[in-house]
Amino acid sequence: MPSLPDSPPPVPPPVPVETHPNRTVGGKPIAQRALPDPTRLAPEDAYYTSSLPRARPTTGYDESLRVLNGNAASVAALRPPPAVPLGSCKVRGTSRRRRRKGAWKKLLWVKQSYPDNYTDTETFLDHLQRNPRVRPYDFWPLVADSTVIVQHVSSVAIFVCCFVGIVQGRVSPVSVVCWGSVGTALGWIFWDSWILGEHVENAHVAERALEGDDGSSSSSMTSSVNPPGTSSRANGQKESQVHGLGLSMAQGESDLGRRHSTGYVGDAYGAQEPASPPGPSNGTFSGSHEPDMSSMFSSRNRQRLSTVKSAFLIYFSLLGLSPILKSLTKSTASDSIWAMSCWLLIINIFSFDYGSGEGAGATKFPASLSTNAAVMASTVLASRLPSTTHVFSLMLFSIEVFGLFPIFRRQLRHVSWTGHVLLTLGLVSVAGGAVGITLRGGWAAAVVGSILGSILTALGMGGCSWWLISLQKYKNVVTGPWDPARPVIRRHWD
Amino acid sequence: MTYNIAMVSDFFFPQPGGIESHIYQLSTKLIDRGHKVIIITHAYKGRTGVRYLTNGLKVYHVPFFVIYRESTMPTVFSFFPIFRNIVIREQIQIVHGHASLSSFCHEAILHARTMGLRTVFTDHSLFGFADAASILTNKLLKFILSDVDHVICVSHTCKENTVLRASLDPLMVSVIPNAVVAENFRPPEPRPMPSIAPNDIITIVVISRLFYNKGTDLLIAAIPRILASHPNVRFIIAGSGPKAIDLEQMLERNVLQDKVEMLGSVRHEEVRDVMIRGHIYLHPSLTEAFGTVLVEAASCGLYVVCTRVGGIPEVLPQHMTTFAKPEEDDIVLATGKAIAALRSNKVRTDRFHDQVKMMYSWTDVAHRTERVYKGISGDISPEEFYGYYPGQGWEAGRDRVRSFALIDRLKRYYGCGVWAGKLFCLCVVIDFLLYVFLEMWFPRANIDIARSWPKKIHQDNKRLGSTDKDRLGPAS
Repeated sequence: MPSLPDSPPPVPPPVPVETHPNRTVGGKPIAQRALPDPTRLAPEDAYYTSSLPRARPTTGYDESLRVLNGNAASVAALRPPPAVPLGSCKVRGTSRRRRRKGAWKKLLWVKQSYPDNYTDTETFLDHLQRNPRVRPYDFWPLVADSTVIVQHVSSVAIFVCCFVGIVQGRVSPVSVVCWGSVGTALGWIFWDSWILGEHVENAHVAERALEGDDGSSSSSMTSSVNPPGTSSRANGQKESQVHGLGLSMAQGESDLGRRHSTGYVGDAYGAQEPASPPGPSNGTFSGSHEPDMSSMFSSRNRQRLSTVKSAFLIYFSLLGLSPILKSLTKSTASDSIWAMSCWLLIINIFSFDYGSGEGAGATKFPASLSTNAAVMASTVLASRLPSTTHVFSLMLFSIEVFGLFPIFRRQLRHVSWTGHVLLTLGLVSVAGGAVGITLRGGWAAAVVGSILGSILTALGMGGCSWWLISLQKYKNVVTGPWDPARPVIRRHWD
Repeated sequence: MTYNIAMVSDFFFPQPGGIESHIYQLSTKLIDRGHKVIIITHAYKGRTGVRYLTNGLKVYHVPFFVIYRESTMPTVFSFFPIFRNIVIREQIQIVHGHASLSSFCHEAILHARTMGLRTVFTDHSLFGFADAASILTNKLLKFILSDVDHVICVSHTCKENTVLRASLDPLMVSVIPNAVVAENFRPPEPRPMPSIAPNDIITIVVISRLFYNKGTDLLIAAIPRILASHPNVRFIIAGSGPKAIDLEQMLERNVLQDKVEMLGSVRHEEVRDVMIRGHIYLHPSLTEAFGTVLVEAASCGLYVVCTRVGGIPEVLPQHMTTFAKPEEDDIVLATGKAIAALRSNKVRTDRFHDQVKMMYSWTDVAHRTERVYKGISGDISPEEFYGYYPGQGWEAGRDRVRSFALIDRLKRYYGCGVWAGKLFCLCVVIDFLLYVFLEMWFPRANIDIARSWPKKIHQDNKRLGSTDKDRLGPAS
């Protein structure tokens, strides 16, 4: 090496050290580098959930890097593996190089005595991270979460079976819509009581926070309205969801009432602000208990009234629209209708918002694409029916199933887990029975269908959960310094 | 030994930009070193056919269908006939493609390999692995780079990225940085007094396109806080883009119009005039393969505050820069530190220009690129080019010298993936058949050989030769 590595550069730049926070240039202990960062998770951690995630063998890193080079970057089978010297060569390599010339630096502005294609075995790809944000799944929580999907698929199946029954003349459309409406009314009553319970409890908590947990004058009243299970829950972020759900129940008019109620509560809070500590009240409730309660009840009543009003509005407009809907697709072949509604229902199932409605998306309604697809599917299906009554019944039923039922389900899951599981069981068995009746007819078929459907669903839930967990070993997210950084910004003015 | 080189890219003048000027500067310096260089790009508005630029640099503007942001339509084969014609006319030996988003360059590399030419690819940008667009681009890049002879990256981070994306042998990837024409980025004359009085105004310059990935959000969040804590600070912001409205809204909301000057977009030759008005250059980018503008700013004698992302930490020495995390708080902090350092007169910004001139020059880049050409043409032995490190697991010259045999090429392409490999093989076979057809239909004998531009003897050749020996010392 006849070059002049020792000749100082003509200008005096200080010798670089530490270009990256976790990169040191000089003599680095090799054993330390071979260890993976213990805060990172590898896919094996996701896979073997029972074992300690940190207790991976230290040799796993080189192995994983080799897997990465051969697999994630999917090197050709016919090509030689990339010549990144790994693991075993490291010790000899460093000592050799140290002797030969000054250490290579990962810098561009230094004129180095190495060729341009030199690949440093120590620093090459040392900032690569695999699966930095993987969260391992557990089996039972996964199964529990899949009940949401099962519920929705079952309700879609029930709807389709009802339609088939109506078309084949086995079921009277009026009975279908009557049962549906009774269910909806019951659901609404439950839902309304939950909302009320939350309101009261929120107010109660706020009052407790203010008065130091002594004035429980209204506790008897609240406990009578409270459904079991509500009182144990934290009510930090329920408020927004409560209002949001009120909106969807009664589209047009309740919006006004809702705005009014929130406005009032907000004002009250503003007036009380100097006295109230920022407690768990979520900033919406005032300290003065009695007048607020009465005004809240009146606002609830106003909201109920507007809900009933909008229900009637929907009812009558559907009644008026049914003759038009009946002749909507007269010129279209039935086959196209079946295919189209199939696709629309599939879109509905796949784009449905299965989220819990907590956190950021608290006020989000079930995704509009999904609801629109379902309503369109039922519209084209209804246009195959023979009479206006049929059309009206099916449309009303579809609005109940696809528009209102998801809101109820979400709130139920929020309020009571037992109720959620029971509803899932009920829906699955009803859907199985309905499919059985549709395919074979007769009550025996219904019983067989519901049992078979339940078993199959349970197997499916377990199997899919297990499958998803076992697929985690293929997860290989590669991140490194080349990824665009995520800027961290504190919003002051929003 | 001189070569006939064709630079192929979608991006070239009259469009301004970093890749464009890279190609131009590199070509000019290669011509100075005695090579023959032509540039093949697609036709721009009002610019079709052959043009000569300074120094006898010949540019072919090939008419082609442009789809998005001056990238041509990725047709796999349609470029082949005219490309073959140009290559034969100009007696090209090495095809050098630029930019991974340029389909022109990808096609040219594929056809050049079919025609039995050596190929080099220069990657100028960083890509992730997560989103759909990146996955598609990466697959395409892997297809093209399966058979390329050598790859050049502009920074070590870029090299790591490219090696992963295209699953390349790291020894086949060289790191050759960009450079700046230091004469165009001189500090103001006469030199200002290096000392700054405690109450002097310090001006912070920001020159970047105002896009999300340039970190404009960080800038918007940081400016009011910096100005609030440092009363004697002013900002000059040059550049335009979709985030300009947000920036202006911030200025209006905080009533900072008298402290922040917005210049709009500036031409590249005016950048220096803007830069020399300031003391600090702030660069809050979120991703950057090299960051030429940092070098330009340092060359103008500005102290640089930048985020520690991508290849930026490799670019400038520590006494010229203050690094920050891509977080609002950290940028405010780092800018404060930089202001304090300038006020205490610890930073010798007046020496930056000479130092940068020693670090980056296009002559050096051309020289190092020439070594790559020599290596792939076999003028340097593979052991020497790829390095021979016995006992380190480095096996020199196994498959790095790419053979032109069709079966070997097909083997390389076949390994690109279960389905993609077969598809790529199909493409290569069709390309080969197309070549055979073209050889019969338009025989080589009927294509005229273009006359070369008369070369002038470069008086600096001797001096360059001596410095080259120094640089290449360890390899020889």
